[in-house]
Amino acid sequence: MKKTGYLYDDRFLLHDTGPYHPETPDRLIAINMGLERENLLPLLIPIHAVLPDMKWIERVHDPSYIQRFESMCCTGMTCFDYEDNQMCGQTFEIAKLAVGGILEAIRLVMEGQIDNAFCAVRPPGHHAEPGQAMGFCYFNNVAVAAVYLKEQWGLKRIGIMDFDVHHGNGTQKIFENDPSVFYYSIHEHPSFAFPGTGRHFEKGSGDGLGYTRNYPVLPGQGDKEYLEILQNDFLPLFNEFAPEFVLVSAGFDAHVDDDMSDICVTTEGFNTIMKSIVEIADRHSGGRIVSILEGGYSLRRLPELAANHVSILLK
Amino acid sequence: MFVDRSMTQKVITIRPDESIVKAKNLMDENNIRHIPVVEEDNLLIGIVTDRDLRSAFPCSFYKGEQQAQAHAEMEKILVKDVMTKNPYTLTPYDTIQDALLLIQKLKVGALPVVDKEGKLKGIISVRDLLRAFINVLGIGTPGTLLCILVEEKVGQLKKIVDAITEENISFGSVLVARYWEKDKRAVFPYLLTNNVAKVKKKLRAMGYTLLDPMEWYMDQLPKVE
Repeated sequence: MKKTGYLYDDRFLLHDTGPYHPETPDRLIAINMGLERENLLPLLIPIHAVLPDMKWIERVHDPSYIQRFESMCCTGMTCFDYEDNQMCGQTFEIAKLAVGGILEAIRLVMEGQIDNAFCAVRPPGHHAEPGQAMGFCYFNNVAVAAVYLKEQWGLKRIGIMDFDVHHGNGTQKIFENDPSVFYYSIHEHPSFAFPGTGRHFEKGSGDGLGYTRNYPVLPGQGDKEYLEILQNDFLPLFNEFAPEFVLVSAGFDAHVDDDMSDICVTTEGFNTIMKSIVEIADRHSGGRIVSILEGGYSLRRLPELAANHVSILLK
Repeated sequence: MFVDRSMTQKVITIRPDESIVKAKNLMDENNIRHIPVVEEDNLLIGIVTDRDLRSAFPCSFYKGEQQAQAHAEMEKILVKDVMTKNPYTLTPYDTIQDALLLIQKLKVGALPVVDKEGKLKGIISVRDLLRAFINVLGIGTPGTLLCILVEEKVGQLKKIVDAITEENISFGSVLVARYWEKDKRAVFPYLLTNNVAKVKKKLRAMGYTLLDPMEWYMDQLPKVE
């Protein structure tokens, strides 16, 4: 059995998105409940959220953006640029804590204290661009994680697998010229779903050409198509890339019972996805995976999805 | 929606007495397929297209001496010999819709834009129109497209817009299109949000049919042959 870390902090619940928003604190409560119900919590090594060295966030986001985020938050604005980005007075601090906790998880993995980790964080991150909050995201958690792995730990090949049902436009933009970070995303086709990017012909640019891979799936598609994509596309590409570390943008909103999308992946389908990712990490990365929560809004399904996700990491 | 806002204004032009070799080089260097032919004072007298040139040029597989010989021959052929004289034109005050319909009707790739005196002001190509429509439809801006089927009667759009506005959601664009069933319209609001689950439920509760995204068609007009 692997040593799996679990990042969770009650303070993540303080990021208040108001009464009508799908990205609610209840999501994390549901996830925790799932882990508890399956008696997984005693098997996991708790990771505590700490404030990060801001230099890591500044490596991804413009200082002027960070400043604007902080001042809007502190002056009591409840929305950051778009209505989607609802916030409260604590949002800025919580977004920093989420990043800090993730960097902590990476440190523990790199020091060999744990093998892998699941980070149940809020707010999510993969839509956030260097100077723009978007789609419930403020700091791009997974991007800061990849930069930290490159610069603090000297890794040369980092694989990001993003199976959130929406395309991670922010993550793609940040690494599109960077051949050391392979961004792979499966998501609902951008002509039908937010954020309107992630078409198959977006493949990176400059030195990074070929290190961004987008696989849009059509409304109504599900397990069968995902399995084909994993076997015929994701696994061969990541086997060739041979990542030294695997980061996961884990969004559970492609689930058939999640009304944020038209994609029909079942709970079993999510297991298949995660097993493929673990297969890659075991073969190339010494099992090193840090999985970071993105979307997933079905409160009824999140408990089982998170429990299975963590069980696969533990195996 | 006037042509002069979407046309290319810095036009590459050529004189009628230049050789077609020069015209071909201009097309290759600038990645274009149409060159308006002008006289003194920018007066338009014709247009030369890559198709005109391709029919004039000899086989591209010629090599060595054969190629040099052919090239020398080509230098002697002038733009005025291959161009289309007095082409169809638009004025800056024609609309984008005029341009679309005329390009469709004539089956051409571009139309020169001239003023009252016949002087060249710009050129509008299929690519310019595509760019204009990509901008208008906001393709690529973050948002979610819905497709709502409505009875064709006055006031439908208002109800939809009100319902969406009550959810505090901004519109990127709205397209109201003909639907293939008689007396129906398809409304495509492009909403600048990731958060459409609630508004979808609300619209369904109001009695609207939300179409399965796989059933969407942008082009359901009966084809006029």
